[in-house]
Amino acid sequence: MNIEIVHAVIDDLGALLLFTMILIVGASQISRAIYAVAFQSLFIAIAGAVLAMATGNVDLWVIAGITLTVKAIALPWLLLWAIRRMDVKREVEPVIPDLATLTLAVMFVVMSFHLSASLGSVRQAISGNALPVGIALTLNGVLVMATRKTALSQMVGLFASENGIFFTAMAVTKGMPLIIEIGVILDVILAALVMTIMVLRVRSTVDADIADLDRLRG
Amino acid sequence: MTGDKPLGIVLIEMCILVILGPLVTGIIQKIKARLQNRQGAGILQPYFDLIKLLGKGTVQADTASGFFRSIPVLVLATTVAAGALVPVVQSGPPAFPLGDALMLLGLLALARFLTAVGALDAGGAFGGMGASREMTIAPLVEPVLMMVVFSTALAVGSTELGILAEQRGTSWILAWRAADFLGLAAMLVLLPAETGRIPVDNPDTHLELTMLHEGMLLEHSGPGLGCMLLASHTRQIVTLGLAAALFFPIGPVGAGVTGLLLGLCTFALKILVLAVYLALIESSYAKLRLFQVPQYLGIGFVLALMSLALRIL
Amino acid sequence: MAETLLWVIPLVPVVTALLMLTTSNRKLLSTIDVSSSAILAALTLLLAHEVGASGPRSLGMFRVDDLGIIFLLLLVVLTLAVSIYTVAWLKQAVEVGNMKVESLRFYFALVHAFVATIVVTILADNLGILWIAMEGTTITSAVLIGYHGHHHGLEAAWKYIIVTTIGISFGLFGTVIIYAAAAQVMGDASSMSWIAMMQVAPKLDPGIVRIGFIFVMVGYGTKAGLAPMHLWLPDAHSQAPTPISALLSGILIKCALLAIIRFQMIAAAACGVDFPQQILIVFGLASIIVAMPFILAQHDLKRLLGYSSVEHVGIIALGLGFGGAVGTYGALLHVVNHGITKAIAFMAAGTAIARFDSRNLQAIKGLLAVAPIGATLLMIAFLSLAGVPPFSIFVSELMILRAGIGQGNWVSVAIFLTMAVIIFAGLLHHAGSMVFGEPPKTASRESETRSPLIAMLLLATLMILLGLTIPTMFDGFFQRATEVVLG
Repeated sequence: MNIEIVHAVIDDLGALLLFTMILIVGASQISRAIYAVAFQSLFIAIAGAVLAMATGNVDLWVIAGITLTVKAIALPWLLLWAIRRMDVKREVEPVIPDLATLTLAVMFVVMSFHLSASLGSVRQAISGNALPVGIALTLNGVLVMATRKTALSQMVGLFASENGIFFTAMAVTKGMPLIIEIGVILDVILAALVMTIMVLRVRSTVDADIADLDRLRG
Repeated sequence: MTGDKPLGIVLIEMCILVILGPLVTGIIQKIKARLQNRQGAGILQPYFDLIKLLGKGTVQADTASGFFRSIPVLVLATTVAAGALVPVVQSGPPAFPLGDALMLLGLLALARFLTAVGALDAGGAFGGMGASREMTIAPLVEPVLMMVVFSTALAVGSTELGILAEQRGTSWILAWRAADFLGLAAMLVLLPAETGRIPVDNPDTHLELTMLHEGMLLEHSGPGLGCMLLASHTRQIVTLGLAAALFFPIGPVGAGVTGLLLGLCTFALKILVLAVYLALIESSYAKLRLFQVPQYLGIGFVLALMSLALRIL
Repeated sequence: MAETLLWVIPLVPVVTALLMLTTSNRKLLSTIDVSSSAILAALTLLLAHEVGASGPRSLGMFRVDDLGIIFLLLLVVLTLAVSIYTVAWLKQAVEVGNMKVESLRFYFALVHAFVATIVVTILADNLGILWIAMEGTTITSAVLIGYHGHHHGLEAAWKYIIVTTIGISFGLFGTVIIYAAAAQVMGDASSMSWIAMMQVAPKLDPGIVRIGFIFVMVGYGTKAGLAPMHLWLPDAHSQAPTPISALLSGILIKCALLAIIRFQMIAAAACGVDFPQQILIVFGLASIIVAMPFILAQHDLKRLLGYSSVEHVGIIALGLGFGGAVGTYGALLHVVNHGITKAIAFMAAGTAIARFDSRNLQAIKGLLAVAPIGATLLMIAFLSLAGVPPFSIFVSELMILRAGIGQGNWVSVAIFLTMAVIIFAGLLHHAGSMVFGEPPKTASRESETRSPLIAMLLLATLMILLGLTIPTMFDGFFQRATEVVLG
């Protein structure tokens, strides 16, 4: 495939990723944020497939497949299951006003593009605008985690953040070694499982959200 | 900037918009009805409503001033004038100085303002409430729409919609950059707000808690109400036309009768797609509570701002 | 021989972890625990000997050099001490009801899985493996921190897992960026191997490496507990079971520093030594300054030790930031000294807390009267943490200070000294009020159990020894490791 077209497709997918990220940041219901993060992972899987086609790198096909099954299907399913299990009524509770969060999100996006625009040579190493989009996703994921007081929202933020890293890692010329990518995904799954267990455990013992506990101070 | 689009075609386009406006509303209502497993009224129903209203007498509140009577005409006139600026069957700038996308947004804002003034003038409680709500939301929608226009305009270097459509007609999705996608996303978020539909407004209700636009029309009757309704149909198709011109400019390229007919067909198709989108959104979402609307529009704002920022960087 | 050890050493804790799952007898579990730690220590000494005699070795994705050996030695010493300490601690915890007998095997399995991930972190040559193992330490230790199942513990565990996971996500991002820069230079032979990257490091694009290093610094810095990313540390270290606290403070946060050192070397080769050093100095000073007020106004004994860890990680970062042979040597020595001292402190604190059934500094009084040896050890640990000669921390702090003066970085030196003096006073005040005075009537007056004392005495001997003299063998490791870091 023509390298120009690949760059264009990666750019377009990057825009879609930013779109889903804004949906996550602005979501007023946790389930919508989960669907948004699932779609985000889907786009990343598509990006992996496109890059695999373009570069003929077989590893990328595997990575795209794993991303699809794990991050676009399994983990969102786990989160939705936890929601049903916990019977969440009050859902996303922002710490600061939504519009302020959204403004911060835009600032992060602009900042990341500005930052990577100042790096001329990076465009040879990483296709398209994968680097600024990756940075923007990572930072906005942290933003979601910092501004939400419910455990599941924080997990959504974490997944979005890692999606950003994955996107950049895929777009690095040659891609990351397969074994590393698989190890990273394995870690993500384990972390998600451990977190879900903790959330359910606290919910069942003290009937509170784990992220909302604040007895430890000073 | 002037081009070679003759006055005749501009007038024809304007008429097409006014004539097709109610049809779009009819189609959206029909799709909604079918999605809700109802038979629904025919797609020509808005026309029948208009004809019926034009034949009726006028009743006016005692508190209304003489200005109130002229409101419907003024609103319709400004909206139709805005319609002249949308390229329908042929792209490219008109042969005479007319106005650009900013002018279009200005005219729409003026129509909105006049509607609100009329509602306040009549002195009814619902009218005043509707007007105040509309004026709360308008400042959130209009700047964002402006940003989307600017973001696209920056890519082409002109705010003239004809030129925009012409330039972008040659490039299609593969040539889009991130900013275009974000602009389109912002536009899609804004469309329901600008056309007064769920999740921002509900065109089907006269429940006082939820009305925005409808509240402002309550005091109008007879031909006046007809004019107001026609104005909102026209406003809807003009907004859709604006979105189409900015993001789906493919189609209206050729000259001659075949070219014009082809342009008309593609235009109808694009409007139909957007109408289906609106109907789907209306059917799948509930109306937001008023204080949640700013957050919803905030998403559009953020997307538009990002689109603009990416274009500048 | 050494190559074989490279894959045997990580395997030992893994096999032990699996072995633990087969039985639920407490005594048997403790025996396996101690003997496995002893085997690990013996194998590591063997490896250290080999490496000391004939230089760095590598095997696939694993590699060991003198730098790694230092961290590995610290790990095995602490694991052995913690295993010995656990014997009596566990007995007491089961009696009180903090631990359930039927779930003990999972506890031990997790501890050894945790140790295994730390070993891999230290031995990893591949930066991707390094990251994966680092995240592995987070997951295993998060479960251990929340192991008691109190909601305090779970709260701390949640904060820990969320903050550090997101933190080292940044680390992964930095790794990816630096890898992108390296892949550009390496062409077809691109790999994530650290040693391969070091070979091409001078040719890397400085701009990309700079951004990458900042990400890595924030990422692994979170795991290391550097301010302002330290927020999880006092909670996690204070809520974890005592043996885990000792391991977290003693070795885990140092492993994150090891990762930072690896990246610092790449960054130094790519964009000059000044850039990474300045960043390290900023983070180091921030940590020392942030820790000071929390140490002074602390009510909770284990939180006090947690904040003290923040301070000492800051000092190590400062030493690396000052750089030069003296600064780097001092920083590496401080890694070992603080690891050993903090482990004693946590163990002594753990027994004191069990004795008084309170973590409140006001409630713990007159420890000397009820537990003379434990009180002495606690006092020694606090004195050493405060930087009193002849204990080992004094030596390494002095070296770091010397490096700062040598660099002419007067502002940093002044801040460091001021904070050290204030913290010195604070620690001595806290230690004095705990050790001396009249013990409350509620305090347990049982005689001191043997196994914790053995563990603490073992570490205390090392601590005092390192304060008086550095054996030639260790000195050789530190010298060569310093050379590795300086390139």
